[in-house]
Amino acid sequence: MTTVLSGGADPLISLTGVSKRFPNGTLALDNVSMTVPKGQLLSLIGLSGSGKSTLMRHLNGLHKPTAGTVKVFGVEVSSASSKQLRDVRRNVGFVFQQFGLVGRATCLENVLSGALGRLRGPRYGVWSYPRTLRREAFDHLERVGLAPQAYQRADTLSGGQMQRVAIARTIMQQPQLLLADEPVASLDPESSAQVLELLLKVATEDKMTVIVTLHQVELALGWAHRIVGLRDGRVVLDQDARGLSQTDVMEVYRRVDRESELLATPSTPAAAPITERQRA
Amino acid sequence: MTAAHVEPLARAAGNKLPRAPRKWQSKALLAVFVAYVVGVVWSWMYIDMTLLTLFGGFTELWNLVVDMVPPNFDNMRVVLKATVETIWMALIGTTACVVLSIPLAFMAARNTTPNPVVFAVARAIITLTRALPTLVLAAVLTLPLGIGPLPGLLALAIHSIGMVGKLFTEAVENTEAMSREAVTSTGAGKWQTVLATLVPQVTPSFIGTALYRLDINLRESAVLGFVGAGGVGFVVQQHLRSLDYQRAIAAVGVIFVVITLIEVVSTRLRASIIGDHLSSPTKKTPRTMARERRDHRLLVDAVTTRRLTPPWTYERLVRASAGVIYLVLIVVAFATIDIPYLSALGLGDEVIDSFGRLFPPDFTTAGPELWQGIRETVAIGFIATTLGLVISVPLGILSARNIVVNRFVYGTTRLFMLALRGLPELIVAVLFVAAMGLGPVPGTLALTVGTATFMAKLIGDALEEVSPEPREAVFATGASRAQEFVTSVIPQALPNLVSQTLYMLDVNLRSSTVLGIIGGGGIGFLLLSALRVLQEPTVGAIVIVIFVIVYSIELIGTFVRWLVE
Repeated sequence: MTTVLSGGADPLISLTGVSKRFPNGTLALDNVSMTVPKGQLLSLIGLSGSGKSTLMRHLNGLHKPTAGTVKVFGVEVSSASSKQLRDVRRNVGFVFQQFGLVGRATCLENVLSGALGRLRGPRYGVWSYPRTLRREAFDHLERVGLAPQAYQRADTLSGGQMQRVAIARTIMQQPQLLLADEPVASLDPESSAQVLELLLKVATEDKMTVIVTLHQVELALGWAHRIVGLRDGRVVLDQDARGLSQTDVMEVYRRVDRESELLATPSTPAAAPITERQRA
Repeated sequence: MTAAHVEPLARAAGNKLPRAPRKWQSKALLAVFVAYVVGVVWSWMYIDMTLLTLFGGFTELWNLVVDMVPPNFDNMRVVLKATVETIWMALIGTTACVVLSIPLAFMAARNTTPNPVVFAVARAIITLTRALPTLVLAAVLTLPLGIGPLPGLLALAIHSIGMVGKLFTEAVENTEAMSREAVTSTGAGKWQTVLATLVPQVTPSFIGTALYRLDINLRESAVLGFVGAGGVGFVVQQHLRSLDYQRAIAAVGVIFVVITLIEVVSTRLRASIIGDHLSSPTKKTPRTMARERRDHRLLVDAVTTRRLTPPWTYERLVRASAGVIYLVLIVVAFATIDIPYLSALGLGDEVIDSFGRLFPPDFTTAGPELWQGIRETVAIGFIATTLGLVISVPLGILSARNIVVNRFVYGTTRLFMLALRGLPELIVAVLFVAAMGLGPVPGTLALTVGTATFMAKLIGDALEEVSPEPREAVFATGASRAQEFVTSVIPQALPNLVSQTLYMLDVNLRSSTVLGIIGGGGIGFLLLSALRVLQEPTVGAIVIVIFVIVYSIELIGTFVRWLVE
């Protein structure tokens, strides 16, 4: 794994032998190890159910691993105290496929909730946040182009607009690491291009490290430094994006199909190089 | 189970017409139906209510009506004062109940409960508080707290937890989890997350529930005076006792007007709070359009000038003023209601003490009477439900506008029913008792009237919602109006009718446990006499019996509803 990819000194994220078995018995992650250096743009690919979302949720402690360790900013997330965990989460922005906005609240309130990690005590309503933060929230809404909608209820917006509000909420956190879990999967093609562009622009401007799961391989190849492919909870591809062609990446999806069709086949020879590289 | 599945098929081979396979649920349902019929027949024989007594009752009622005209409004000052007290009791009682129910709901909701023990305890509290009728609770609380509004509003607060807590819990459980996960991910703490994501989602339904309960509590609080627990009921009872029917009917009239007015206001408020957008009515009048333009301008101004507080749109103004009005009312209520706050603080020990004296309960002193009271209570519930149902069917059909095409007929029927529903059942009952004397018959009749009007409204509404396509299809075959009604309307409305009948049986059995308190028959009478002579262990026994009756009804009701679904 110590390839060109991890150029920096201390990795921002390091996973060692992480496995996750859910109470219902599914093995969502199977002995995953990887490190992510600061400033990297990494794209996770794989079929639905391959463990991408589960992997992301381990990085901010929403899920705890069954085995192995997850270190983010040098903190061991799996065994962190709730205060440590809050500190980690404050520095990790998370953008969800379903946005995760409070529909009945205004856009401004939704953006402000991104500052909760910096504040003490519960807050309810715009007036309960300091004025400086309200000004800041307005700036962030402006940055995503939604300042005119500040006092509209979030559920009156279109899907693309909602995701932009969610991005503004994430900027409000001023995170070092941005996790985006299929951020454009529930949007139409046009707004998904816009939203993804916005997300990456903001992330690079603010020098965030980014992990994003995407279905659009072309998009992933276009901007990512590194591509990691997951299948059945295992890392089956981990490469510098520059050397990869689209057909290489599509293999991650295609081989799964062939394998599930021919259940009897053990491991196809073609899979070997990638698996070896991963273990090297 | 397997036998039940196989058997009908086997039989089908022999018979010409194959039967639909019958599961054990439908057998159980049949058993419930048979039990219901047996219950009704037994009750009818037990109460010994012949059609003659019924018609005799009507002449007596007519005599009472004659005695009540013209109403005498001399005593208005006292009546109004007592009515205001009634409103304050309902307001404080509901507020207290909401304050207690909020933490309970978060503890009892699967998605927010801190641990299984807290969960179980909170659920138990919510279930148990429902099982003692307000009037019983109020009557028992007058023992340590004395006569006045305090026992009344405490009873309202405690009993309401059952319904309000349950609905609040459901509201919390119905919230979506995505925003919670998202805000947790920003590093927000547990309470910050709850306040930022859950509270905005549940607030509208909490307020809707609270307003709904306020309506119910107002009706209940109007009759609390019958046991000396404050409010206008006491005035009505006194006038009736001194046979001053003209003053009594004046007080009843005031109650009716107040209840109807508050119901109208709270229904509109509820609709506007639960309805997603207060400022987008279906009809666009010039006024609403001007309002929308103003709102739009405010919003644009707010974002261009970067106002750091939300602008005062119409919606926000309405909500804020409703909030302010409520706060003013509750402060006035606390300030003016006749409760000795300072000495009330010291009454805690006395309450515990006096509840202690209810134990061990004494089932023997009132033994035979207790048994008789239970049977009478059950009988009243069965008869009132069945009789009410029988009356409600023609009444309901008359009030459905898609079946009765004559506007005048359904209009007057609806109005008549609305007027009768405006009065709490126990007020109707106390008038019937005044006309016909003590005993189960006037009580049964009062509950019958309540059931009939309630069910008639449901039937009318259900019939209006019946989908028109099957009807047209049947008409198209050349069927007559009556044939069409039997073959297409009734089957569509039947399942709902069955479950509503069960619900009414539940409600009526609950009501009939307290009817006796005003002389309308059933176990309540026993409770009142035991309270009068301070036979506390007997009171304890009666309270336990009522609790068991109501709780078993609830369990049976839940089971049967499950069967029907």
